Amino acid sequence: MRELTYTAAAREALAEQMAIDPTIFVVGEGIGPRGGNFMTTLGLHEKYGSMRLRDTPIAERGFIGLCTGAAMTGSRPVVDFMFLDFILDAMGELINQVAKIQYMSDGRLKMPIVLRGSIGVGGSAATHHSGNYYSIFAHIPGFKVVIPSTPYDAKGLFKTALRGNDPVMFLEHKLLLNMKGPVPEEDYEIPFGQARIARAGSKGCRATVVALASMVRKTLDACDVLLKDGIDIEVIDPRTVSPLDTDTILESLHRTGRLLIVDETFAPCGIGAEIAAQAVDRALDDLDAPVKRLNGAFAPTPYSPPLEAAMIPNAATIEAAIRDLLAE
Amino acid sequence: MAIEILVPRLGWTMEEGVFIRWLKQDGDPVVQGDLLFELEGDKAMTEVESMDAGVLRIPPDSPEPGTTVLVGALLAYIVAPGEAAPFEQKALAASKSFSRESVASVESVVTAPVTQPAAPSTSTPTISPRARRVADELSVDWTKIKGSGRTGRIVEADVRAAAEAIAAANVKQPIPEPVVQIAPQPALVSTPQSAATRAPLSATRRVIAERMSAGVHIAAPVTLNSEVDATELVRLREQLKNDKRSTAIPSYTDLLAKIVACAMSDHPALNARFEGNEIVTERAIHIGIAVDTERGLLVPVVRDAGTKTLLQIAGESAGLITRTREGKVGADDLRGSTFTITNLGMYDIDAFTPIINLPECAVLGMGRITPKQVVTLKPGTIDEVERVAVRRMMTLSLTFDHRLVDGGPAARFLQRVKQLVEQPYLWLVS
Repeated sequence: MRELTYTAAAREALAEQMAIDPTIFVVGEGIGPRGGNFMTTLGLHEKYGSMRLRDTPIAERGFIGLCTGAAMTGSRPVVDFMFLDFILDAMGELINQVAKIQYMSDGRLKMPIVLRGSIGVGGSAATHHSGNYYSIFAHIPGFKVVIPSTPYDAKGLFKTALRGNDPVMFLEHKLLLNMKGPVPEEDYEIPFGQARIARAGSKGCRATVVALASMVRKTLDACDVLLKDGIDIEVIDPRTVSPLDTDTILESLHRTGRLLIVDETFAPCGIGAEIAAQAVDRALDDLDAPVKRLNGAFAPTPYSPPLEAAMIPNAATIEAAIRDLLAE
Repeated sequence: MAIEILVPRLGWTMEEGVFIRWLKQDGDPVVQGDLLFELEGDKAMTEVESMDAGVLRIPPDSPEPGTTVLVGALLAYIVAPGEAAPFEQKALAASKSFSRESVASVESVVTAPVTQPAAPSTSTPTISPRARRVADELSVDWTKIKGSGRTGRIVEADVRAAAEAIAAANVKQPIPEPVVQIAPQPALVSTPQSAATRAPLSATRRVIAERMSAGVHIAAPVTLNSEVDATELVRLREQLKNDKRSTAIPSYTDLLAKIVACAMSDHPALNARFEGNEIVTERAIHIGIAVDTERGLLVPVVRDAGTKTLLQIAGESAGLITRTREGKVGADDLRGSTFTITNLGMYDIDAFTPIINLPECAVLGMGRITPKQVVTLKPGTIDEVERVAVRRMMTLSLTFDHRLVDGGPAARFLQRVKQLVEQPYLWLVS
């Protein structure tokens, strides 16, 4: 199968769906002729023109408001935030209008809007350009929150986002954007709320690791090291954190007995806390050890490259965390 | 239609206020904007105006001036001219008022304290929930296990190792009678790929489990085995089969039922049972016959076997067994036996240790009837063969409750049964 980068895979999904659905248009800073800061819309302006690829001024709350109205009246806006951190300027519109309008209109209004942007720590982007935010959005009823970790998932999940009627946060970790992987040329969708078993443990496997976004690849690297010592681990990538496929996680936990959640972002009130609570609630008798979390430091992200690297999990710290879990 | 005048919320935190006075009277016509009453909120006194037009109707039980009122409490109605107020129609009046009790009860539901479980005792070892579950599944007593977890916690691997050690030890020793677990296992919340299947205990299974367990753990069971020559019994049955006037062909179980009843008349101790501190010995002999059914083991009862002829017993038991297998047997048919016979001979079982069906004293197990060479010695010699013959041999296994009878009487009873099997004429004439 041919290989594409993560960004190219998502872009292909967008381009294909724009060709099918004339109500789709893209809004953002530098997404027109420039093709997007992260090349998310490269080549699309030539194809679909300025009406459907709308460059905007730096006015997030304004253009989110415009797109909210457009979605309510039948269009399908894709808002490209470049760095997702900029979405924070539009939180009022997002949480009070975008997430709630279907409920408040008793379902008479739809909100088919895709909100995309790069997330995550990496490349010395510093604290205004390194947020993850999926825990925050997963806390709000009304949003679908998607964090693909492979090019294949990026295309399939983006297709699903563009065909639904709900607001979707499509969050692309900046360290994954250039990652290459097999991507089918045909059209396919990946349903929300369906985790992927990124690495299936054998029968004697004694731990399940749930890894999010860029942590999936790092966890798989750690597992390769552990396998040399005969330690076999099952790795689950939820792919969407709202809805969250807890069943797949707990089914794996039932087999292995131990659970670690590896999440680059802050631990308090995070996805790991949610998964741990559900494991204790629904699968207490499957737990052979405390549920463990490995998170980034609870602090603003530093610019300094050594400090930045030190504040988030890497393959070595994940490996250590798994060994620690097995020693419980 | 009457419009309710309720105590309004004057500020975000206001829950109650003081009703000062009416500015209109009962029966006054009002229009929008008319001032209706004065209400004191958290901070200030407010004149509340009417949102509607009509006739103000103040019910007799409306709050008195100067009293504290809850937000949402009913003060009055505005009705159309000539319309009767709801309180004049009796039934409706007070039901809408917002009582303090209802507010309090909602709060008590929301904030009801969660009962804290007692803190775990520090003297018992800690165990992971999963290890505890596995220990239950494998019937391992985890309180004796040393945990290998970081804090000394017993983990799944410790329990499995302990179970394997027990299993290894049991290979060398006779395996103890398994204790039937009667309490249902708690259902697991998520066991999508559990290797074992789980089914709730049926009522029949539960009774069997309790009775069998009691027969082993409450009684003091001893089993005696005796090989008997059943050739004459086989011959007798063949003759009955060939007799066209037989109304029923007795099974070997029926034959033994008759023989047991006959032997019992000389050995009534085997027909006894415990009742508190007394030993009760029945005169009537009711023989239970163990029947294997789809529901499990059932024991229908042939009553008064001691006073019935063989053909009566045969006819009765055939009907009972058929109804038992078809699930049509009544509860009374399964009750009141004083002795039980269980026959596994048809499955090529030679001998076994039947379990006493408490409160009975004993149970007789029948093995298969099989041809064997039998040596008869010349009288007065030690090893000189008079003849070698093929005989139809059978092993009888009598389990009795040593609390009620001793080995001697039980052995003599079995010996008498053996005699009656080998010489059927003895009981045919009785």
